[in-house]
Amino acid sequence: MGRPSVTVLRLLVGRYLLGLRRRTHVAAVSAVSFTAMALGAAALVVTLALLAGFQSTIRQQLAVSGVHAVLRAKVGSTLPPGDWLERLRERHGELHVRSIASGAVWCVSEGGAVPAVLAVVDTLSGVEVNRVLAARLGAGVGAEVTLATPRATLTPLGPMPLRRRVAVDRVAEARPGEDRAEVRVPLALGAALLGGAAVETVELRASDPSRAFSVASDVQTELPDGVEVISFRELNRPLLAALALERVMIGFGVALVMAVAALNLLCNLALLAAEKRADVALLGALGLEPHSVRRLFLILGIGVGALGGVIGTVIGGLTAVVLDVTRALPLPRGVFVVSHVPFRVTAGAIAVVLGVSLGAALLASLAPARAAARRDVLQGLRYE
Amino acid sequence: MSQGPPASIEAVRGAGLSKGYGEGDRRVQVLAGLDISVQLGEMLAVVGPSGVGKSTLLHLLGLLDRPDAGTLELFGTDVGSLSAAGRARWRNRRTGFVFQFHALLPEFTLEENVAMPMLIGGSPMREALAAARELLGAVGLEPRRDHFPDQLSGGEQQRGAVARALVAGPELLLADEPTGNLDAANAESVFEVLRRLHVSRGLTSVIVTHNEALAGRCDRILRLVGAASGDACSRT
Ligand SMILES: Nc1ncnc2c1ncn2[C@@H]1O[C@H](COP(=O)(O)OP(=O)(O)O)[C@@H](O)[C@H]1O
Ligand SMILES: [Mg+2]
Repeated sequence: MGRPSVTVLRLLVGRYLLGLRRRTHVAAVSAVSFTAMALGAAALVVTLALLAGFQSTIRQQLAVSGVHAVLRAKVGSTLPPGDWLERLRERHGELHVRSIASGAVWCVSEGGAVPAVLAVVDTLSGVEVNRVLAARLGAGVGAEVTLATPRATLTPLGPMPLRRRVAVDRVAEARPGEDRAEVRVPLALGAALLGGAAVETVELRASDPSRAFSVASDVQTELPDGVEVISFRELNRPLLAALALERVMIGFGVALVMAVAALNLLCNLALLAAEKRADVALLGALGLEPHSVRRLFLILGIGVGALGGVIGTVIGGLTAVVLDVTRALPLPRGVFVVSHVPFRVTAGAIAVVLGVSLGAALLASLAPARAAARRDVLQGLRYE
Repeated sequence: MSQGPPASIEAVRGAGLSKGYGEGDRRVQVLAGLDISVQLGEMLAVVGPSGVGKSTLLHLLGLLDRPDAGTLELFGTDVGSLSAAGRARWRNRRTGFVFQFHALLPEFTLEENVAMPMLIGGSPMREALAAARELLGAVGLEPRRDHFPDQLSGGEQQRGAVARALVAGPELLLADEPTGNLDAANAESVFEVLRRLHVSRGLTSVIVTHNEALAGRCDRILRLVGAASGDACSRT
């Protein structure tokens, strides 16, 4: 005998798991546990795929519409002079470089006077206002606006604020979350208004949005002393961190479904052990050792749980892929940047779900298996 | 119907066997210093009123339980010194047990049920099933080998249990009221099978029964009458 007989365990597990002929009760019990585990796994896979889909959409959106890296002075507010910026522009032809200086300005139109941020952008050729300012001014493309800065010039009437009358060439879409009024002017006009052309910030954007995360490291080595680069990740840290946290928390919440399924498995195993108590005692009387009994119930529990987990994962994964490919769940246009609910099944998520279901099945099986193995053979035989 | 003179070699030798249950006031002393001896090849019937300790004695002989005191030698081996694993192996290989209840496992065919001790002992499926078929032939159930227990009569189930008890080739057969739940005809067929296999396989058997007629057809009867030692008397 020595090592436990694999043959007898295989026979017992097969029959108790699948049932046969009229003995359907045990099979029904394992079918319920199996279904619960499968549902839990499927729910977890679909949820994680949904979150991953939305998150990658949001990241893409950020990369398409936003700035990929920002250069700024380590000390002080203006970048060091020199032709390094020109060289950067030449070497990274695919980078869009916007250097910006800024100050405060009053914008005056027929609609009234509105305080705004004046951004000097050296790549601009005309005057651009953002949606926020356009709305507050009640002015659109072609409107005449007077820009007045706090810098004064002496006139015969005493000191007067410096002012320029300009026409709005473009109204720029506000970025998500942008709520301050801003007017962007070319370098010459900005220099006149602000009295200098000291560059404060350089914004970098790669033509290819998928490079958003690597722009910062690409230019890192070509920067002069005193200039630091803020990466895409750092620029969007709060949002990216919130997305990651959301994924973990919702995943954890849905994983509770697995916990419930595991508890169901535990109950059913305990029930099976109680129902089969006399039979297990008989097997013990025939020489089946307690560690084999323990192994029997562990295999039963982990078998049901793992099988349910695998099948559920496959069903969940297929569901997510089909929903994504067929664009089955439409989203209202204009509210979201995507037209349908996106799903993305990742290998990591699959591994997590399989690991969770296997772990849950193991945890659920340990106690019933141990209890069944510890049960006294004689008491079991008297148990009628 | 008694058989000839008992064989001279002792297969079972129990001395001063005691077994009690419970603690303190509720302590029940079931066996108190019982001596028992069964000769090799002998068929011993154990009779006595309900609760006297017949099953308890059989459990001691079958290594399903340990005595509180006393020594037990089976076929020259002091089984009191066996480890738990050694006792399980002994039960598997050297003892055949027929119970009153729990005859067969409901999820398995008759053939699988009979093969179970060999499978537990680590025999390959093919070998175990072949041995099971042979024994089913010996108890007249070969045609029913693919049936499930609920398709068999009580007598057939119990004959299957006898086949299972003997499949691994034990020397000692222990049967606890094997005919207790059966009508006269079925009881007769089960006992007939027991008796025949006892002889043909050269077994040493201890049969607990309430049936005086069947007990009378054993080689010897051990009557348990009470917990005090010496109350057990025997008749040839
Ligand atoms: N596990 C146990 N706990 C307490 N009492 C027990 C236990 N097993 C048996 N007994 C008691 O021991 C006595 C003898 O039981 P048993 O050997 O089954 O008798 P028999 O088989 O002769 O009817 C009975 O009174 C029974 O109640
Ligand atoms: Mg009894």
